[in-house]
Amino acid sequence: MRLWNALRCRIRSLMFRDRRESELREELQLHLEREIERLQAAGVPSEQARLQARRSFGGIEAIKEECREARGTMTWDTVVRDTRQGLRRLVRDWRFTVAAVLILGLGIGANTAMFSVVNAVLFRQPTVADPGRLVNIYQNDRANRPLIVTSYAAYQEIAGHTDLFAGTLAATIPNPTRYLHEGVIRTALAEYGTATYLTVLGLRPLLGRWFDQTEERPGAPLVAVLGHHTWVRAFHADPSVIGRVIYVEGIPVTIIGVGPAGHHGIVDVGLATDLFLPVTAIPKLVAFPAPRGDSTIHAPLFVRARLREGVTLLQVRAAMDLLGRRLVAEHPDEYRTSGEFALGPGITAVPTTDVRIHPQADRPIMGLASLVLVIVGLVLAIACSNLATLLLVRGATRAKEVSVRLAMGATRREIVRHLLMESMLLSLAGGAVGCLFAWWGITMLRGVQLPVNVDLSIDLRVLAFTIALALVTGIAFGLAPALKATRIDLLPTLRDEATPVVDHRRLTLKNALIVVQVAVSVLLLGGTSVFLQQVAATRALRVGFAVSGVAMLETDVRFGGRSATASKNIYDELLRRITVIPGVQSAALLRGLPMAANGVAIVVDGAPGATRSNIEATMLPAGPGFFETLRIPLLDGRVFDARDRPGTPRVAVITERMAREYFGSVNAVGRRFRLENDPDSWTDVIGVVRDTGTGSFDDDVIDPIAPPFYISYTQSDALPTTVIARTSGDAGTLLAAMQRELRALDVTLPVITARTMAQALENSQVAPKAVATVLAVLGGLGLVLASIGLYAVVAFAVARRSREIGIRMALGARSQQVVAGIARGVAGLIAVGTTIGLMLSVLVMLALRASSGAGDVGIGNIAVYRPHIDPMALLAIAAVTGVVGVAAAFVPARRAARMHPLVALRHE
Amino acid sequence: MSDQTDVLQGTLDLLILRTIALEPMHGWAIAQRIQQISDDLLRVQQGSLYPALHRLEHQGWIAAEWGASENNRRARFYSLTRAGRKQVEAEVAKWERLSAGVNLVLRRT
Repeated sequence: MRLWNALRCRIRSLMFRDRRESELREELQLHLEREIERLQAAGVPSEQARLQARRSFGGIEAIKEECREARGTMTWDTVVRDTRQGLRRLVRDWRFTVAAVLILGLGIGANTAMFSVVNAVLFRQPTVADPGRLVNIYQNDRANRPLIVTSYAAYQEIAGHTDLFAGTLAATIPNPTRYLHEGVIRTALAEYGTATYLTVLGLRPLLGRWFDQTEERPGAPLVAVLGHHTWVRAFHADPSVIGRVIYVEGIPVTIIGVGPAGHHGIVDVGLATDLFLPVTAIPKLVAFPAPRGDSTIHAPLFVRARLREGVTLLQVRAAMDLLGRRLVAEHPDEYRTSGEFALGPGITAVPTTDVRIHPQADRPIMGLASLVLVIVGLVLAIACSNLATLLLVRGATRAKEVSVRLAMGATRREIVRHLLMESMLLSLAGGAVGCLFAWWGITMLRGVQLPVNVDLSIDLRVLAFTIALALVTGIAFGLAPALKATRIDLLPTLRDEATPVVDHRRLTLKNALIVVQVAVSVLLLGGTSVFLQQVAATRALRVGFAVSGVAMLETDVRFGGRSATASKNIYDELLRRITVIPGVQSAALLRGLPMAANGVAIVVDGAPGATRSNIEATMLPAGPGFFETLRIPLLDGRVFDARDRPGTPRVAVITERMAREYFGSVNAVGRRFRLENDPDSWTDVIGVVRDTGTGSFDDDVIDPIAPPFYISYTQSDALPTTVIARTSGDAGTLLAAMQRELRALDVTLPVITARTMAQALENSQVAPKAVATVLAVLGGLGLVLASIGLYAVVAFAVARRSREIGIRMALGARSQQVVAGIARGVAGLIAVGTTIGLMLSVLVMLALRASSGAGDVGIGNIAVYRPHIDPMALLAIAAVTGVVGVAAAFVPARRAARMHPLVALRHE
Repeated sequence: MSDQTDVLQGTLDLLILRTIALEPMHGWAIAQRIQQISDDLLRVQQGSLYPALHRLEHQGWIAAEWGASENNRRARFYSLTRAGRKQVEAEVAKWERLSAGVNLVLRRT
């Protein structure tokens, strides 16, 4: 119905427009006739009268145009007419149009995709009721800067200020976890929060309810609320999930509700939290190294409070200052630790609306986001200057059309407007194609098995960004060529002799555009080289353990709901069965994966000087046979064996790096250390093993993890999860056999990970590889675009100079000389562009190094990046650029050289 | 012809409104009438007459109607609307103030 109305409206306006036009014609016609009659009556001969009347009247079309303009119908009509003309023109030059739309689509698409990521991380507004009354509260470090997190004890003290706060909530940073659903183990992000969580945010669950105070008590049966995004994607928006039991880390948890739509968690950066659980579930579900039997909550918490009516931020700050001082007086030991994250007395309160992620992290993240946008922006800049080049070339071939139109009385403004309309149409089409590309890219990204749910949707903000970008792009690449196209000497152009024989000017717009494109491509390729280096570095890094023939299989018996003793037997049985698989040389059990280490803070006993505390290390729980299976050489002492049972003194095997860094010598056997949060956890060093690439694979070389040590899972209650085995044969075959054994043992046991070591290593390089790939694609794209630009410019120059070339060849110049002449000019342009690009690359790398040197950047895992400047890589890039550029220019140059002098002379 | 003056920019509207205040007229007749009444002192640029008419119509000060011309052709006759009549008074007052001012300056300097 609506469509019909719109159509009818449209038809009527078209009909009216025709009537208006004919009336206007009639009115002016009458005027002319009357004037002629008047002149004839005054005795002027009829032919002369006609001419005189016309002359005194002026240009009829121009007057008509002015009348239309006077009526205000002008703008819409012109837009419609210009659009129609532009479309016709673009359809006629469909090859150019397709190329341009694709180029723009790639440029704009890359920007849209990146912006949708940045949008999810930085701009999307969190769904919270009345955010103006919310404050974030952080405990400070010694330097009085907000720490990342606040302790549970401190949260309870803060929550006690009910005179200031209508409500207070605490929640952890989303933690990776796993749950069993529909027979599949899924990775998930879990947020552990208080019962007050949703009411303080002023939200309501979409389905069911949030957990209450009784469910937040320690020992209560575990319940969970599903994140809305997860409910839709993993649970197919099924309303009957309420009351269903899922197994989180193998422990049954009842789903009691579904979170509000659009709420992604306490830190809304596009990562959607899958599960919301009570804080008291932390000791049961999270593998924080908690002291045995202790159910206190050792968890990093975010604290947020809703102000009571009439309470000001100043009042809150005053109260928090008092609280901070009281806490220091009451719990002096907590403030005695040293190190980067040492607690200070201050407490910070900031309006929630002023913080995106964390007061300390927001600036570096903004910086990173702008860097990413600048990089993709550069690609668009190449695309723009490329199209500008193409349009310039095309503008020159259209010079005649433009001059005819100017001669017919079109104003320069009209023609510029018309040409701009064409580029706008191109860029809007490019924007549409770009959206498709971006949508496709995002879908691809979603298809990749990411460990987290990222809500990357193309929302209105992204669309608005794309449209604005397309419009700006259209003007950016269209304006200069349009202005240039209309700056014409009319007569010579009309007479077809405008071509100057040789254009000796060096600083033309075309040349400048080529230089820009080459420079930016080199800059992008320079960035690519940095990340490729990183991949290469990771690959070249000494793995330090056996790869070929090694396979690993991770399962978790708790998902079957067994008792601890029965489970232990199951692992032992699985290990026994796998050991006897033909070809297996060695097998072992461990907890987690060989490359995944947990960061812990430790205290080293008797280190040179005093006891060092709060130093970082990483821990891997392994079992007997581990080092043998992975062929990790023992340097000193012994490895785990049957002696290490529950009840015996705790033992650890440390890496030589840890020995050197924390014990001052590789001979660390017999020394001891403990976990920082557990005074009873003194652990003896029984052996030192050679370093492995562990950690470097999981994280990366940029931000190496703390030195690893191994503990024996056999000494704790914790169960192993993974079997690793080494065979003399093929690891893939072994893996299949291992999975068969697992199924034969118990079909209900889920496979969490089944990989050969080679696959696992390959997998761990995904991130730097992805970055390198993206940059390489962008840089390659830039280079291809720049080559197209070069090709077009040279082809055009050759076409224009064909007469000159013909004369030179007729006078005896050889074709090589002609080609050399053209190549010289192009090579100069490429050399200038490459030099500028190389200098920019080095500058950017230096800037990155300088910025990452600042101490306040490295919070958490936010990339601290110190690119290494590799002159060889830069030279290689320069060489590639040069070769590609000259090759692009060579094709049309050769064509010119092959031209027969006669043909060339007759050209035009 | 040299003693003819082109109609000043901005005064054309006033002249048109004033001319058709007497009776509805079509474009050519308006131009002729202005020339006649001013004893051939003022000449209407024909190119600017029609845009001015259409603009005034768009502003709602004059209305157009099709009628028969002197030579029995279909012609577009313009007449003042009620808003147009008020506008004439305003424009006349404005013009008189302006010309009085200009005259004073010319005489006293």
